[in-house]
Amino acid sequence: MAFDLYDLVNKYPSKQMMAVPLVITLIGLMIIGANFMFTGVPVNLGIDFAGGTAVTVMSDDTPEQMEAYFASYPLISIGEGLNRGNYLRFGPMSDEEFQSLSRAISARYPDAKIDQIGESFGETLQQQALIALLFSFIGMAIIVFIAFRTAIPSIAVVFAAFTDILVTVAVMDVIGLPLSLGTTAALLMLIGYSVDSDILLTTRILKRQGKLEEKLKNAFRTGFIMTTTTLSAVLALLVVSWIGGIEIIMQIAAVLLIGLLIDLMNTWMFNAGLLKWYLQSGKAAKGVNR
Amino acid sequence: MTKDDSNSLMRDWRILVLIAALIFSAISIYLLPPAFDKGIQGNVQLGLDLEGGSWIQLEYKAELVTFETTGSVDELLLGISDDLDTEVSLIETNVVEIRKPFTREELEPVFAQYGATITSYEIGVGPETAETVKRILEEKINRLGTRDAKVNTLTTFGGASRYIRIELAGVDMITAQEIVGQQGKFDIRIQTTGDETEHVLYGDAITSVGNPAQNPIGSSNWGVPFTISDEGAQALREAAIRTGATDRPMDHELMMLLDDEIVYSAPLSSDLATRLKGEEVRNLVASTGVGEEALNRAMILEIHLRAGALPVDVTIAGSGSVSAALGEHFKTMSVIAGIIALLTVGIVVYYRYREPNIVIPMLLINTSEIIILLGIARYFIQLDLASIAGLIAVLGTSIDQLVVITDEVLHEGKVPSPNVYLKRLARALGIIIVAASTMIIAMLPLAIMDLSSLRGFAIITILGVLIGVVITRPAYGKIIMGILSR
Repeated sequence: MAFDLYDLVNKYPSKQMMAVPLVITLIGLMIIGANFMFTGVPVNLGIDFAGGTAVTVMSDDTPEQMEAYFASYPLISIGEGLNRGNYLRFGPMSDEEFQSLSRAISARYPDAKIDQIGESFGETLQQQALIALLFSFIGMAIIVFIAFRTAIPSIAVVFAAFTDILVTVAVMDVIGLPLSLGTTAALLMLIGYSVDSDILLTTRILKRQGKLEEKLKNAFRTGFIMTTTTLSAVLALLVVSWIGGIEIIMQIAAVLLIGLLIDLMNTWMFNAGLLKWYLQSGKAAKGVNR
Repeated sequence: MTKDDSNSLMRDWRILVLIAALIFSAISIYLLPPAFDKGIQGNVQLGLDLEGGSWIQLEYKAELVTFETTGSVDELLLGISDDLDTEVSLIETNVVEIRKPFTREELEPVFAQYGATITSYEIGVGPETAETVKRILEEKINRLGTRDAKVNTLTTFGGASRYIRIELAGVDMITAQEIVGQQGKFDIRIQTTGDETEHVLYGDAITSVGNPAQNPIGSSNWGVPFTISDEGAQALREAAIRTGATDRPMDHELMMLLDDEIVYSAPLSSDLATRLKGEEVRNLVASTGVGEEALNRAMILEIHLRAGALPVDVTIAGSGSVSAALGEHFKTMSVIAGIIALLTVGIVVYYRYREPNIVIPMLLINTSEIIILLGIARYFIQLDLASIAGLIAVLGTSIDQLVVITDEVLHEGKVPSPNVYLKRLARALGIIIVAASTMIIAMLPLAIMDLSSLRGFAIITILGVLIGVVITRPAYGKIIMGILSR
């Protein structure tokens, strides 16, 4: 075979491998920073956190018709699904306004899903989500350190998980995917997924005997197939929820898809590069013979 | 595989556990209790977004304040109750519940006046008040005969009950808001001249409320009988005579207002008008008219009369609804999503291994994992859209880990001797356990927090990972060895 995909991981020097994800992480940081400067938040908040109303309706009406129908309400955006599904977002409004809106919706679109979150409830959710993210991350780091008990590999895993989330958030900023309860859950799940492949790689490299190139290649083969099967499940989920107009699943699937692609890069370029460098520089001698 | 091999495979504890779990789940979903009429979902509980219905989340306009004082606590309570002009009650030796919204900054000087300092401040009410509100709401809902309703108090980390969430299956948003959104400053007024009205009595004067009844019995005239206190009866008689309602009932309607909105308005009946001239009347009937519509109106009026008032003011923190038809659509799409995800995964894995003997067990293990997950989850959580996403994510993790096992034991495409095999399987399970622990840790905060809609997602994910590690992964390791060493 002229071209071996799984040997790619051995083709480039470790510093070059690590450089690409690092540069992308830096770009991600800049995007988030820019978002923060322009909007005051690192990532745009969906109605779950900012307050407002989300409406899913099944209708043949065009966006223009809906815009006209809801002209007297604070309509923010209309998203179109594939199969008559439409996802409308409204800004915060008073109880009376909301009641009149729900009447207006049920009059014209009886088959609707409406979710309204008040601003103060949104803030509480925001705080809780932040705490959840923090706890998850710290918990993950502790487990990784317990599992490997050596500094450099553990730091690499934790760092990879961190950059996964950071770059995913940056991509969300760019494509306009808001941070909602669904996407927060997906980001948390990403912590788990990200560690999956990292642990495979690190265990294979540090705890197995054999030639480094051979181990890297085999780990990459397993890891690649692992992530691509998950990716395919997530892609299926994304497509079906898009066709079916299920916004929350679509958001979760979209974030997982982006995150898994970035994880592929972070694990097999940054993390693999770092481990290669770590072993070749001889720093791991103690760790391996432990 | 010889007959001996397949016998030993069937006797292996890993396989037995898997089979037992599958049987348990099938029974849980379809037999306990029997659920043959419920279709494919069986006993699995579905959330509002799959079943159709409405939810409303209320936030208490009250706060819990923890204080420190060297002076008398009784004095402090009396003092702040007076100064703030509201009900306060001590729920723990140094925690007070204040039933009106104030910020911490507003409260600090008031407490300081009585030599107390505030050590912590939280929006919400204590457990007893939360329980009372829950009971009142449940009663309101039950009176309407809603078939499936849930009222849950959501408590913050600090221990204050800040929100109360009401879920009503099969009820649309407008009705749901009518049932719970309103709450009670109940006021009975009498029309004086033109649009002018005059206060007669408040809701606290109503001592008991009966069920909607035909009035007179046997007619199609509906009404709600209720009793008022002596003071109330006196106030009513005085107001009726003073305004002239006893002489010209049609010009002086009696009105009932809930939160300043008229929920009922009608003239005194000629019979009542005559009686009021001579005496105080404590037993009254609010007529709502003739026919079905009137019965419905009577039922809602009864709730207003009976349990209209919550002890604490609330605001709507959030609400939502899904129509039954849309819920049905989401249900169908969820099933399709699951099947398509499973098929896609199957194709990808087949592309990699090109060996039906590996791919088919993988998919079967995956499917049984989902079945076991549903069989256990049905006892304590409702499946909503977010948990469906969790379910499919579990499917993804599961395949991930089956790939790890397969690749670990099939080192260089050869099946090793049983000893080496078990050693490798153990190593693969080691990787999986670390990965599973991180997934569980990552999801744990969401599972224990009251972050409304994400709890199901987190619990499903954690449960799925656990089932994988304990039941299905070890069984898969054994099965794949049995098949490949043929």
